[in-house]
Amino acid sequence: MDINGKPNHIEDYLVRLHTGQWFGWSDSKNKVYANLIIHDSSKTKPTEQECIDGLAQLQADYDQAIIDREAKKASAKQKLQDLGLTVDEIKEAFGI
Amino acid sequence: MAYIGTIPAEAYTSFAVQHFTTSATDTFTLDFPVANENEIALFINNVRQEPGSSYAYTASGTTLTLSSAITGSDSMYCVFIGKAVQTVTPASGSVTNDMLAGSIANAKLANSSITLNGSAVSLGGSATITQGITMADQWRVNTDFTGDNAPISSNWEQVDTGGQGTLGTAMSQSSGVFTFPETGIYLVTFQLTYFASNSSSRTDFSIQVTTNNSTYTDVALGQVNGTSGQNAYSSSFINTLIDVTDTSNVKVRFKNNNQDNSNTIQGNTNYNATGATFIRMGDT
Repeated sequence: MDINGKPNHIEDYLVRLHTGQWFGWSDSKNKVYANLIIHDSSKTKPTEQECIDGLAQLQADYDQAIIDREAKKASAKQKLQDLGLTVDEIKEAFGI
Repeated sequence: MAYIGTIPAEAYTSFAVQHFTTSATDTFTLDFPVANENEIALFINNVRQEPGSSYAYTASGTTLTLSSAITGSDSMYCVFIGKAVQTVTPASGSVTNDMLAGSIANAKLANSSITLNGSAVSLGGSATITQGITMADQWRVNTDFTGDNAPISSNWEQVDTGGQGTLGTAMSQSSGVFTFPETGIYLVTFQLTYFASNSSSRTDFSIQVTTNNSTYTDVALGQVNGTSGQNAYSSSFINTLIDVTDTSNVKVRFKNNNQDNSNTIQGNTNYNATGATFIRMGDT
């Protein structure tokens, strides 16, 4: 993940796939799919494509969550304005 | 007696005088060695004699040689003018190291031993002084994880990024159980970094110790919390002192309980996000 929490590596997908320390890397300095190892024998190693697709889905979800959050803020702000609050009052009271 | 000016540093108490038992000879033995005849004033029958090989006498070491023999009826004495018998007390603070002919004998010292680390050490002997810190080690988890882990058993590595370093014999680690290299009192610190994705849930974590290599007890506890409405990283440290009396039985491990598995505990191979530090503080 980057500093804002946006997924940017297949590890971000893997860590959400199962709980616990079920996976690791044969070379922790080179975290590529070829170095992916499974510690928990009860878990199946995902394919590389699954990892790629899974990461892409997480990134899309992250972006959509931001869009949704901004939309909700805008909607809430408009509803408050419709009730008669000024922009300054809304910002002071709700921070939006 | 009062002085005008600086008081002399040396106080001469007397000159040495030797009265000879005379006989018909020209050679006598002096009480004190001299460099040459000029260091004595020689009197025969109360008449001062002229020193020198061309004159009345010569002297070297303790041998006095007259230019001609005297008789047993003559009287003779000499004054050691180059040998003043004296008692000299050096002025306070005036004796320097350069004035010493050699090392001061241990027997001449008021104390023949000193105490190091509670043990007497003879002067001139040797003792090993143990360093204050002889062991410091640091490990981290190199991969993110979720869930409840008792212990955190995988993906441990000793720190190895450029600029990082350790001291002394390393800890050994197997499945998340850390074994100390020797007995002693250790400071153990555990750092955990947590990422909460729009969640106010938390993770609890602890340092656990066993004294029988079997049953573990929490000895340090911590908690990090997320914040609802935000993606946020949080870090927290906990620590404890461990008395390692037996390296086979006293061991430590680390545990976490994650309340929300959509949130992750951060591991990294390039920097310390979640990991442990071990410093040996001294003997048990």
